[in-house]
Amino acid sequence: MLGLAARGLTAACLILFLQQSPSLRLDSGRNLFVLENWRGATALSAERLSEVFTVTVDSPNVPPLLGKHRVENGTLIFAPQFPLQPGMSYRAVAKVPGAAPLSVVFTIPKVDVKPTTLVDRVYPSSNVLPENHLKFYIHFSSPMARGVAYEHITLMDQSGARVDAPFLELGEELWDPTGRRFTLFFDPGRIKRGLLSQKELGIALHEGRRYTLVIDKGWKDAEGLPLAADFRKTFTVGAADRKPVDLKAWTISKPVAGTRNVLTISFPEPMDHAILQRELEVVTSRGAVIRGAVSVGSGERSWLFTPDLAWTKGSYNVRVGTALADLAGNMIDRPFEIDTFERVDENPSRSTRSLEFKVE
Amino acid sequence: MARFRIAMCAVLALTLMTTAGITADLTESLKAGKADLKSAGILTFGPDGVLFVGDSIGGMIFALDTQDRTASQATAVEVTGVADKIAAMLGTTGDQIQVNDVAVNQISKKTYVSVSRGLGTAATPVIVRIDPAGKLEALSLDNIRHASVMLPNPVNASTGGRGGNARLQAITDLAFVDSRVYVAGLSNEEFSSTLRAIPFPFSDADKGTNVEFWHGSHNRFETNSPIRTFLPYRVNNEPTILASYTCTPLVKVPVSSLKAGSKVMGTTIAEFGAGNTPLDMIAYTKQGKNFILMSNTSRGVMKFSAEGLDKFEAITARVPDKAGVPYETVASLTGVVQLDQFDSQRAVVLTRTGNTLDLRTVALP
Repeated sequence: MLGLAARGLTAACLILFLQQSPSLRLDSGRNLFVLENWRGATALSAERLSEVFTVTVDSPNVPPLLGKHRVENGTLIFAPQFPLQPGMSYRAVAKVPGAAPLSVVFTIPKVDVKPTTLVDRVYPSSNVLPENHLKFYIHFSSPMARGVAYEHITLMDQSGARVDAPFLELGEELWDPTGRRFTLFFDPGRIKRGLLSQKELGIALHEGRRYTLVIDKGWKDAEGLPLAADFRKTFTVGAADRKPVDLKAWTISKPVAGTRNVLTISFPEPMDHAILQRELEVVTSRGAVIRGAVSVGSGERSWLFTPDLAWTKGSYNVRVGTALADLAGNMIDRPFEIDTFERVDENPSRSTRSLEFKVE
Repeated sequence: MARFRIAMCAVLALTLMTTAGITADLTESLKAGKADLKSAGILTFGPDGVLFVGDSIGGMIFALDTQDRTASQATAVEVTGVADKIAAMLGTTGDQIQVNDVAVNQISKKTYVSVSRGLGTAATPVIVRIDPAGKLEALSLDNIRHASVMLPNPVNASTGGRGGNARLQAITDLAFVDSRVYVAGLSNEEFSSTLRAIPFPFSDADKGTNVEFWHGSHNRFETNSPIRTFLPYRVNNEPTILASYTCTPLVKVPVSSLKAGSKVMGTTIAEFGAGNTPLDMIAYTKQGKNFILMSNTSRGVMKFSAEGLDKFEAITARVPDKAGVPYETVASLTGVVQLDQFDSQRAVVLTRTGNTLDLRTVALP
């Protein structure tokens, strides 16, 4: 009888002891690490709390995670500044005064997700590009990872050999704000005439040959997943284009008054897809801006403008920014390379040119 | 990449900054609150521990009061596996962060590292401060005295910006000289260069002047030429910008020619050849001689004399090999991806070996 009572008492003490021993828990729903069953936290300074309770990634010699300690209902909590990462292990260590140190590793389950991101499209859309072609815009279906772009882009010649160093590789990769459009410049040193780069390696593209731009699926998206598929764009190379963009060669459609007819401006050569969208504006003869929606036509050979309100009779102007460029970077009245013996523009300040049209 | 050049201040103040007010303490204009950076890229220090940060995604320049003004005589810092250690602080692995730039506060000898946690454009910007003992801490951006200026990025008037503005200006370099922040940028659309000089303290009314940089080659062809990195420097007592273009010529441009809206033709003084992008430049004096150290993507760290740069003739003809200013490649410095001055005798370098980034001081060669 006495033995039974003693055993019961021991068990009760053990339960009490277990209940009161500090323990560590991960509250994965709230992204918190919790030191439970220790009531001494309220008496300690913030600095001491961070000595008592630390969380690190589970690797040797690493600093603790950034985050904040707080005491909630007497329980010490550590809230990491950043979300815990699936697939990673974190070590929580508690050095409670008067108790043995506790150390527990928590592993965040990996989430198995299939890659879905693709290269949507590449501009220019044309399959014939000038020998002095300047850049590609690569559009992706989802935001991409930064910092690794050039490892995943290759230019192959028609024999399948890799073209050596054709592109300008910048630490500051050129993305749009959504992370879905990447701008890839050819190395200007191999386009500009008279530079050492061109002497050492020659021009990157040769007229009459065929090339393939290859984007390998190892390029990861912003979620860390590879692309769902490789992408290839094959093109042939035409003559170098060293002429400025000539507005006189453009044609303008004639919208009808009282309608919201699309105003179409057509060009004899493809324009830069991105710059085309922002460098043309429609204004009245008094200079008031007409609001509407802009799109780019097939092959980047036209600019389409749908006004918000119906056209009214009168004279209008299409204001064209001189930054508008063709595929070789030639701009309005200014080629990519200005021949100083036949100088065309002494004053390169950004300005606009106007094309008049009438609505009747 | 700290480019606060005390030596230039007096001269530049007379030539450039006549309109800018001189403020005794540059932190006076900074207001406490959240510094809402969208990204943290190029770093450079001004005086009084003010850290300028290029935010390419936000299209802004931030000035942060680091309150790091305690002088130190430290002579070294060394952190092996620094990217992995920073990543661990941020609860992730080294391959999930990007280390964007490194700058040393010349007062405290603390090294500041701009980092993106995450790899997409939605990555979180973080600035990590490393003391000479190698201890890492994050600079709190939630409540810090700061100011910012937005770089101009006009939208199409007809669309009123509908559909968003895809144009961004990647900030490729920053320098603070006296009371102006110089910003070099490369657009993600047009191939052009802008060097913007923004008065500091920042003001909404004056976002600075813009200068187009051009490059003449073969004495014939001129092209608009984006600047990759630049260094304010005095050439024969003339305040000068030494700039390296994306097509790798090194050019010099007198500061006096940087007038608003002007076209500036850099005088080519050296060419470094194909497949190479200059990364950082620092200037220093050793045994009474002036030198410039330039790190590159594929040609290692180059050292060249800064004596008599004015005497080099412009390279105006096709050159047989590397041309112009002679240089030597510093054999002991390999894998350097970031470079900044630590003190008059040392530089801080961030070196890459395989997937490991190490931060350490090296003697200036």
